[in-house]
Amino acid sequence: MASTPHSDPTTPNFDIVAAYRTLLASDPEMTMPVAAIEALVEALTHSTANTTMETLELLECQTEILKASIPNPISLSAGTDLFQRYIITTLNQPSRTGVNILGPSGDFRAIRNHLLSNGRLFVERAKASREKIASFGRHFVRDGVTVLTNGGSRVVGALLHSAAESSFTRFRVIYVLPPPSSSDSKEGEKIVAGLRSRNIPVATIPDSAVGYCISKVDMVIVGAEGVVENGGIISRMGTYQLGLLAKSKGKPLYVVAESHKFVRLYPLDQFDLPIEQMVLEFKVTDDKQGSASEATEDEGVADMNGGVTSTKCSGVSAADAVDFTPPDLISGIITEAGVLTPSAVSEELIKIWF
Amino acid sequence: MPQGAVAATPGLQSFIKSLKSTPVEPSIEHLISLLKRRQIRSSRPCAIATAALLLRVVGEVRGRDAGKLLRRIREVGKRLTAAQPREVVVGNIVRRVLGLVREVTEDNADTDTNANSEMSHSFHAQHDSLHRPQLSSSISTFSPLKNAVTEPLDTNLHQSDISESAEPAKRPSLQTSHTSYAQSTPMIGSLFGLFSHPDTPSTASTPTGFQSPAGKDSSITALNLDRLADLSTSKVDLKAEVLDGIRELQDELEQSDDLIAANALDHIHSNEIILTHTASTTVQKFLLAAARKRKFTVVHAEAYPNDHTATHATVLTGKKRYDENDDAEDQWKPLTAAGITVVLIPDSHVFAIMSRVNKVILATHTVLANGGLVAAAGAHMIAKAAKVHQTPVVVVSGVYKLSPVYPFDVDELIEYGDAGNIVPYEDGDFVDKVDVDNPLYDYVPADLVDLYITNLGGHAPSYLYRIVADHYRAEDITL
Repeated sequence: MASTPHSDPTTPNFDIVAAYRTLLASDPEMTMPVAAIEALVEALTHSTANTTMETLELLECQTEILKASIPNPISLSAGTDLFQRYIITTLNQPSRTGVNILGPSGDFRAIRNHLLSNGRLFVERAKASREKIASFGRHFVRDGVTVLTNGGSRVVGALLHSAAESSFTRFRVIYVLPPPSSSDSKEGEKIVAGLRSRNIPVATIPDSAVGYCISKVDMVIVGAEGVVENGGIISRMGTYQLGLLAKSKGKPLYVVAESHKFVRLYPLDQFDLPIEQMVLEFKVTDDKQGSASEATEDEGVADMNGGVTSTKCSGVSAADAVDFTPPDLISGIITEAGVLTPSAVSEELIKIWF
Repeated sequence: MPQGAVAATPGLQSFIKSLKSTPVEPSIEHLISLLKRRQIRSSRPCAIATAALLLRVVGEVRGRDAGKLLRRIREVGKRLTAAQPREVVVGNIVRRVLGLVREVTEDNADTDTNANSEMSHSFHAQHDSLHRPQLSSSISTFSPLKNAVTEPLDTNLHQSDISESAEPAKRPSLQTSHTSYAQSTPMIGSLFGLFSHPDTPSTASTPTGFQSPAGKDSSITALNLDRLADLSTSKVDLKAEVLDGIRELQDELEQSDDLIAANALDHIHSNEIILTHTASTTVQKFLLAAARKRKFTVVHAEAYPNDHTATHATVLTGKKRYDENDDAEDQWKPLTAAGITVVLIPDSHVFAIMSRVNKVILATHTVLANGGLVAAAGAHMIAKAAKVHQTPVVVVSGVYKLSPVYPFDVDELIEYGDAGNIVPYEDGDFVDKVDVDNPLYDYVPADLVDLYITNLGGHAPSYLYRIVADHYRAEDITL
C-alpha cells in the first residue's frame, strides 16, 4: 500500500487510468469492476514481470494508481480485489501442495496466459451473469404487481426487460429517474423507453415523490454499485431513503447485483464510506461569492466547480454520489448464484479472502 | 417402517405395505392418487411415502448410467409434485435423492480423474491437500454446522471435514445420515466464477487448481454426467450407493424428531410458560424431552377448526387421529402424565395470554429458503402477537421440511380446506348467503421467527439459505 504510484519500473509507459476509461467508454455494457479487471489484465500484458512477487507488486501499484484517480473507487475496488485474490490464491496453490496440477512448465506462466488469452471472456461472463440474474429475478415480478425501481442500473433493466418478455405477467413500473446532471440519467431513460416499447406502463417520478408513491408499490428492486460485507449495499444516492420508506410500509426490497460487485468494506453508517462526497456542505453567504452558494441554496446540490472539473480524487459530485443501505432494509440479494440473504455476502467474501 | 395395525382406509400404512408387492409403475400411480385425494397428507407421511417409493424406483432402474437414473427420478418427481404441488416436502425428497445420485457420481469421478484410485478415499488427508488446503480448518471452526460446510471446492475438502468429526473415512459422505448427506454441494458461483476457464473438461486438466470449482459446476450437467458415469462404472456400484443413501434419508426422517427434541433442554427452562399450536408430533416430543427434567407450563392453542380434535386428543392422550400414527413407536405419553400443566385455549385467546408467555414454539408445514415458513393457519397471528410482546418464537422443523422454493407468491402456497369445518353444509341458509373461507395454512415471514431448531441444531432464519445450499443442488431446484 505504501508503494509510490509512479515509480513502477515494470510498466514503462502504460496508463492504467486511460485504459480503464477507454474500456468503460468502449462498451456501455461493461461494469466498473470488470473494467478494472480488464485494465489490470492489460497492465499485465504490458509488463515484463516474470515472478509472482513482481506481478503482485505491479498489480498493487496499478490498483493504487487507478483508485487514486477515480472519484468513487468502491465499485472498482471490488474488481481489483477480486483479481488480486485470484492471483494470490492460484499462485499459492502449487507451492503449498508440492504437486504441480497447473501445467507442465511454470505455473505462473500458465495463469498469466490464461488471463491474457481470456481477457474478453471475463466481460462476456459478466454479461452472462447479468442475464442469469435476470432469469432468476423475473420470477419475483408477479402478475399484477407494481415495481418501484431507481435509476440507471443495467441489471435492473435487464431483469425488467426479461420479465416484460413473459406474456403471462402484466406489471407496472414506477421509475425513480436520476437527475439529469448525473452520469447515468441516459441509461435510466433508455430503460424506461425500452420498457414502454414492450407495453409495460412506466411512470417516472423524481426522488422526492417516492414517499408519495410508496403505497401503490408492491415491491422495490434496486441495483447496487457495491455489496458490502455486512450485506448492505452502496448504491446511488436515494436508495437508502427508498429502503427506509419501503421498510416502513412493509414492502420487500430486493437488490440485484452480480457477485463480482461484492466488496470487502464494512461501513457502519453513511459517513463511513472510504470516499469523499460533496453532499453535505454547510455554507454561509460570505463564505464564497457567486455560483457555489447559489447552487446550494437553490437545489441543495453541493459545490459543483470543485469536484467535477478535476478528475483527481477531490470528491464525488452530488449528482453521482452514493449512499449506504444497511442490510436490515434488504429482503434479498439476487445474484447469479441465486437469491441470497444479506448475511450470505460475508460468507462469500470470507471464502475468497481467507 | 412401522408395522402397525392394518389401516382400513388407504393411507400411508397401506401404501407402504402395498409397495412390497406392487410393481413400480402402479405404485407411482397409487401414490399420485393418494396425494391427489389427500389420503396422504402433511409433511412427514408425504416424505416417508416419497422416500419409500423412490427406493423402489431406483431399485428398478436397469444399467449403471447415472444420467438415466437422474432422468428417471426427475420424471417420477415431476409427476409426484404435479399431483400435489403444495406438499412441498415431496419435491424436497426428490431433490435430495437427485443430489445423492450426483454426489455419488461426482465422488467417483473425482477419484478417477485424480488418478489416486480408490485409495484416495482412505487417504483423504493427502487427497484434499491437492485443493486449497488452507480453508479446511478455518471454515469448519467458523461454521456452526461442521458437517454441512459448503465451499466452492469439491468433495475432497468435505471428506476432511468429516474426518475431523471422527467419522470413519470410507465413503464418508454417505454415512452421516442425520446430519447432512449432501456435503459436496459446491456453492454455485463462487466469486471467482468470473475467472473460470471457458470449458474445463475435468478438474485435472485445468491449468489452475482454482478453476476447478466453477469449472466443475458447469461440467456436472446432465449431459456430462453420462460421461462421468462411464468413468466410474468400473469401480463402484452406483445404484447400491444411492439405495444406501435413500435408506439413510429414511433414517433421517425417522430420527429427526428425536434429534430436535435433544435440543429441548437448551430452550425450555423451569417455570416457563410455553405457547404452542396444533397437534404436532415434533413439538410434543420436544416438550416431552424437556418435561423429563423440568417443570413448566404449556399453553396450547387448539387450532380450530382444522386441527382442534387432534389437538384435544394430543393434550388428553398423546395420540393423534391418524391411523398411520397408530403404531407403538409414535405413541407417547401426554404432557400431563409427565407432570406438566397444560392449558388449552381457543385461538382467539392468544393475544390476551401472550403477555404471560415466555416462549412460543411453532410446528411447521414447510420452511422456505428465505427463512419464512408455511404453518397451520393461526401461526402468523401467534407470531405477530409474539412480536408485539417481544416473545421469542422458536420453530421446530426437520431439515426435510426445508425447501429450496422461494416464496415468490405467498398466495400460491396457502391451501384452502373444507369450509364445512366452519359452517356445516346442512346450514343451508348460511351457505347460501355467506362466503366461508377455511385456509389451512399461514405464511409466516422470516422476521417474525427468532430461531429454527432442526435436526442439525439451531439456526437463525437468515442462515437457512446455507442449509438449503448444503442439501439441494442448484441444478435440481427446478424439477
